[in-house]
Amino acid sequence: MLIQQLVNGLTLGAVYTLLALSFSLVMGILGILNLAIAELFMIGGYLGFTLITAGFPLPVAVLGGMLGAAVIAIAIEKIGYQPLRDAPLVTPMLSTLGFSIILQNVATNIWGSDPAQLPDEYFGKQYALGPVNIGEMQLIVLVATVVLVALVAYIVQKTPMGRALRAVAENREVARILGVSADRLTMLAFILSGSLAGVAGVLIALHYGTITPYLGVEIGLKAIAVMVIGGTRQIWGALVAGPLIGIAEVLTVAYGGSQVRDFVVYGFMILILLLRPQGLLGGARSDQGQRV
Amino acid sequence: MLTIRGLQVRYGAITALRGVDLDIKQGEIVALLGANGAGKSTIARSIAGLLPFQGDITYQGEKLVPNAAEKNLRRGIALVPEGRGILARMTVYENLLMGIYTRSDKSEAMADVAKMLERFPILGKRRDGLASLLSGGEQQMLAIGRALLSKPKLLLLDEPSLGLAPLMTDTLFKMIAQFRDEGLTVLLVEQKARQTLKIVDRAYLLETGRVVTSGTAQALIDDPTVSDAFLGGTH
Repeated sequence: MLIQQLVNGLTLGAVYTLLALSFSLVMGILGILNLAIAELFMIGGYLGFTLITAGFPLPVAVLGGMLGAAVIAIAIEKIGYQPLRDAPLVTPMLSTLGFSIILQNVATNIWGSDPAQLPDEYFGKQYALGPVNIGEMQLIVLVATVVLVALVAYIVQKTPMGRALRAVAENREVARILGVSADRLTMLAFILSGSLAGVAGVLIALHYGTITPYLGVEIGLKAIAVMVIGGTRQIWGALVAGPLIGIAEVLTVAYGGSQVRDFVVYGFMILILLLRPQGLLGGARSDQGQRV
Repeated sequence: MLTIRGLQVRYGAITALRGVDLDIKQGEIVALLGANGAGKSTIARSIAGLLPFQGDITYQGEKLVPNAAEKNLRRGIALVPEGRGILARMTVYENLLMGIYTRSDKSEAMADVAKMLERFPILGKRRDGLASLLSGGEQQMLAIGRALLSKPKLLLLDEPSLGLAPLMTDTLFKMIAQFRDEGLTVLLVEQKARQTLKIVDRAYLLETGRVVTSGTAQALIDDPTVSDAFLGGTH
C-alpha cells in the first residue's frame, strides 16, 4: 500500500538525513569528506545494541552510542585531521578512509562479522493509524530525527557557537580576527558530527533489529548521496534530500524490485552532479563547494 | 602603545618585510603608505596575528606571539582586512553579532550592537538582509562597525577605501578622523597618500619591505622628495 510505503520511506529518509547532516557539518566547515563518519554510525549502532541487550533503557543506549562515536570523532580529529590540515584536501580525506577501515576491523573483531539480531521482545509494538501500521521504533526514529534536526538548526542558526561555526565555514581567517578559535570550532564540528552519526546508528540498528560491521558502508554511502543531492555546502539540503531518497528507495523496492534500488539512488546522485552540482538547495552554481 | 623592531616576514621564498621598525602612541592615527607590494598589509596582518614573523612586536608592554589572531583580538587589537572580510552568507545583524563574540558583558554588548545600527542607519535598514547584498561602502561600514563592537584599543584598517566611490571615500576618511576624538588608536594602511596625510598624525612610507621615511603628516607633505615620490609631485 502506497501510504505504508511512504511512512517506511520517511523513516529510512530520517536516518539518511541525520547521517547526511553529520557529513555536512564537517564538509561545510572544512571542505573535506570525513569518510569515517559511516563507521562512527556503525560503532554507535553496536554500542546502542549492546546496551539495549544488556538491559539498559533506550535513552542510555542512545547516549552511549552518541558519546562513544563522539569520543572516536575526537581521536580522528586529533590524529587523522589536525596534523594534516595544511596538506592538500585529499590527504586528510584519505586519512579518514584509513580510520574507516580500522573501525570496521575493530567492530569485526569485537562483535564478529555475522549479523547481530535483536530479540523480538524489543520495540516490537505496532500501532495502527487507520490503514497504516507504524512500529514503535519507527515512531522513535521519526520523532528523534525531528528533535535532533531542530536542535542542530537551533545551535547552528541561533547561538554564538553556531554563528562561529558558520564563520569558520565561510572564512577561517575572518573568523580568527573576530576572536573565534578556528581549531576549537573544528574540533566542535567533529564532535557534533560524530554525536549525530552515533545517534543515527543506534536508531537504525534498533529499528532494523539487526546490525553488521558493514552497515556503515551501506548506509553511509547513501547518506553521502543524500548530502550531494541536497547540496554539499547547504547543511539543510539533507532535510529535503533525506526523505526524498528514503521514499524513492522504498518505492523502488516495492514496485520495481530490490535489484534496481541502488540504481535509482546513485543514478539520481549522478544526475544531480551533472545538472545541478550545487545540489537541490544550493543557490548559485558557484555554491557547489570545494573540489575534493 | 605598539612598538615594532626588526620585523621580518617571508612568504615562501619571497621576503615581504626586511626589518621594519615602527612605533604607535596611544590615541594616534598612523598611516602606512606605499605602492602595492611594499609590505603595508603584511605589517597590519602581522600585528593582527595572522602571519608567522621574526622580530619583536610589543603591544602595551607585552610581546605578541606570531599567528595568534584570536588572542590579539582579546588584547584589544582589531583588524578590518583588505576586501572588508564580510561574512557574505550571514545577515548584517549576524555579522555585527560576530563583533561581540569575545565579549563577556553580553547585555552591554547587545546594547552596543543596537547603538551601532543607529550609528550606521543604512545597516539598521538592511539589518536582516544578507551582507553580500550591501554596496561596497555599506560593507565597509559593516566591517568597521563589527570591528568597533569588539571594543578595540588599536584598530588596524587595511586599505579601507579600496574600490569605493570618491564620495564614500570622503565619508570614510571623515569617520576615521573622528576615531581620534573617541580615544581610539588607528593604524591606517592606504594607497591614497594625499588624502590619508590630511587626517593622520604621522605616517611611514614603505618600499619593497622597508621603511624609507617617516614623520608627521605635515613634515611629509612639506618634504619635496616625499611629495615627488608618493604624492604626485606638487612641489
